[in-house]
Amino acid sequence: MLDQLLIGFSTALLPNNLLFIFIGVLIGQVVGALPGLGPSAGMALLLPLTFGLEPVTAIMMLAGIMYGAQYGGTLTSVLIKVPGEASGVMTAVDGNAMAREGRAGAALAISAIGSFIAGIGSVMAVAVLAPPLASFGLRFNAPEYFLLALLGILAIGSLGGSPIKSLGAALIGLMIALIGVDPLTGTPRLSFDQPILLKGIDFIPVVIGVFGVAEVLHSLERIESVKPIKTRLRDMWLTMEDWRKCRFAIIRGGFIGLFVGIMPGAGASIASLLAYLTERKFSTTPEMFGKGAIDGVASAEAANNSASHGAAIPMLSLGIPGSASTAILLAALILHGIRPGPQLMSQESVLVWGLIASMFVGNVFLLIMNLPMAPVFAALLRIPYVYLAPAILGISLVGAYAATLDMATVWMSLAFGVLGYAMIKFDVPRPPLVLALVLASLMETSLRQALLLSFGSPMIFVERPISAILLCAVVLTIVLPIMSAVRRRRRVGAKPAATGGNGAG
Amino acid sequence: MPRLTHTLCVAALCGVLSAGATFAQDMRAPTGPIEFTVGAGAGGSPDIIMRTFAQIMNDQGIVENPIVVQNRSGGGHSNAYNHVLGLPGDENTLLTLASPVFTTPIVQGTPSVIDQITPIAALVQSELLLFTTPDSDLNSLADVVAAATENPGRVRVAGGASGGNDHVLTGLIESTTGTTLTYIPHESGSAGRATFLGGNVELHFTTVSEGLELIASGSGKPLAIFSAERRTEDALSGIATATEQGVDVIYTQFWGVGAPADLDPAVAAWWADRFQQAAATEQFQAWLAENLYRSDMVTLDEAGAYFAAEQDTFREVLTRIGLAQ
Repeated sequence: MLDQLLIGFSTALLPNNLLFIFIGVLIGQVVGALPGLGPSAGMALLLPLTFGLEPVTAIMMLAGIMYGAQYGGTLTSVLIKVPGEASGVMTAVDGNAMAREGRAGAALAISAIGSFIAGIGSVMAVAVLAPPLASFGLRFNAPEYFLLALLGILAIGSLGGSPIKSLGAALIGLMIALIGVDPLTGTPRLSFDQPILLKGIDFIPVVIGVFGVAEVLHSLERIESVKPIKTRLRDMWLTMEDWRKCRFAIIRGGFIGLFVGIMPGAGASIASLLAYLTERKFSTTPEMFGKGAIDGVASAEAANNSASHGAAIPMLSLGIPGSASTAILLAALILHGIRPGPQLMSQESVLVWGLIASMFVGNVFLLIMNLPMAPVFAALLRIPYVYLAPAILGISLVGAYAATLDMATVWMSLAFGVLGYAMIKFDVPRPPLVLALVLASLMETSLRQALLLSFGSPMIFVERPISAILLCAVVLTIVLPIMSAVRRRRRVGAKPAATGGNGAG
Repeated sequence: MPRLTHTLCVAALCGVLSAGATFAQDMRAPTGPIEFTVGAGAGGSPDIIMRTFAQIMNDQGIVENPIVVQNRSGGGHSNAYNHVLGLPGDENTLLTLASPVFTTPIVQGTPSVIDQITPIAALVQSELLLFTTPDSDLNSLADVVAAATENPGRVRVAGGASGGNDHVLTGLIESTTGTTLTYIPHESGSAGRATFLGGNVELHFTTVSEGLELIASGSGKPLAIFSAERRTEDALSGIATATEQGVDVIYTQFWGVGAPADLDPAVAAWWADRFQQAAATEQFQAWLAENLYRSDMVTLDEAGAYFAAEQDTFREVLTRIGLAQ
């Protein structure tokens, strides 16, 4: 094992490979920061350029784009509240709330550090435990995925503010996700014979509209009064207090991310959501979640980077991609004449260990790139909002177009911008809508697959051990808040329990 | 690390054969950059096939125009084919033909795509293999038929997308043997494979190269190959054809390429010629051998007839399994 890792490092540290790892993470940083253009789109664009390279160099560079994007995505989430990917929604909420208090630098710094620690940790897991973790990941299938998604949706309801409004927003997200083509039978539904609806409504125009466009619309009403965010240098950096709060958040987030990442069917978005929700249970200041909780940002960012590395486990040891990005890595292997599959780790050990070593190196590059730059990027917010708003709108809409190369996506983003604006006005939190939209297809597909597997019997959720544990968690998520509400109501006598607080959006 | 792919020079003979084929038609090259529109995401088989052609055509100077492979994924390839259907006469765009281009219109009840485009070539074919889990009691296709006859619907197939090749093949087996299987669709072929590897179902279909991996790693037990003859490779020659086992089903997955409607026949003929040239290269033949695909190329009108026949099969099977609108 150790000698294989050493061979890997001796490959990754060749000057030529170092250069391409650097190019990869740099590109990843950029495409991650542009909303709409995610890592998989960036990797697909650059794939043809790698044909002239040695396979191992090409894979190192493409993998660099994959995890580099997880660092880059933080930038737009924190600075302009437009998450580049579903896994950045929690960061957009809490990270941007921090930025509004002048703590953008701290949010960016803790994201970089959290991503780094979790990234290195999960690469170590890839190196040491890939085959056993991969077979563990295979024990998760449709029933478990359904319960995970359900757990996520239910927990969204408690994200902050009124649970009724949160669940209402989640319901809208679920309804939007139903438009298009039935994922199992391929037949059209709710499309009213409109080609634009037949394609279904993707996450990208919704998130760009509901966050990016809506935020700009909302600011137009008070553009004169929006002061540029004052950022003092001492607020830019992390305090000891921040670090104390975050160190365990990062570790917990990293483990959750790895755990979700090794499942071939669940991705970084579920990882960051579950990590964030878990962290709120552990946090000493749970009331800050949704309003700028640094530990929330740390755990969500740790989880999505960890998940993006963890997805390499089923990819390398089984040849099964856990995400769109790993699917492109597999394609790159095939195009370079290497057949991925269970034999890969033994037959192409130089390549596999080179890739693993390159992930260590790439994460170091990313930390070096991101930490000193955090205050610099944060200083962008000193620009008066009058000038910033058109730029945000421009970046958002270009991102929407780039995602599909179709103007319809741009119009759709604007329409969702209006919806998002209405949600701000009525104080309805927006993250539940976006997260439910992302979770919906997993939830629907896996429920129906589970019932096909069991020939229609719901007992499948109880009979499978992991599924049974998750089912208990789902039941507890529903029952516990009700019990505590009842208890509170008893304590205060006839006075109704207060459900105060503002929306998280 | 030098790779061994270049040493596989199975190409020589094929090269001579198709270099001799010339076209009676006039040929004219399009000007400007070319887009290969692919309805699958990057990494899917259609994407990999078109990227391989694009790379060979540009590298070897067969096509001077820069080629970009554009993934317009989603909607069962409808994003891609609607894009190309909207460009009649366009000389710079080609549509990748994979089974969803045929099946999505049938399932959604929209007009056939293949009847509206200019056929260029059928490019690559792959046989399909049927697997069961390593510790399964099933040891042959006959066992599968027996089990499915005894308990209709109790034998499960972890498949790729609904209406995909493995779904159609499942339907063919059902109707040939008079049995009912439970086909479980997934988001992609590899998601279906994860379900199979996790031991959740009995059956799973693969291409030959995917199947070889399952055999080598001991994670699947092959039951049948759906071709006229057995494969000749050592690892695969023991797999009996379905026909040998008394189930008369021969089915091949294929990929092809077409152009927008009303394309100048001279440009169509030029493309057909360039694809043939690319397929004759050593580089392509090595790639083919490595991925265990076949390339029985037919072009232009012959390709049109090939596609029409495949479309009939798809429509017939999808109607029988109740998916056609």
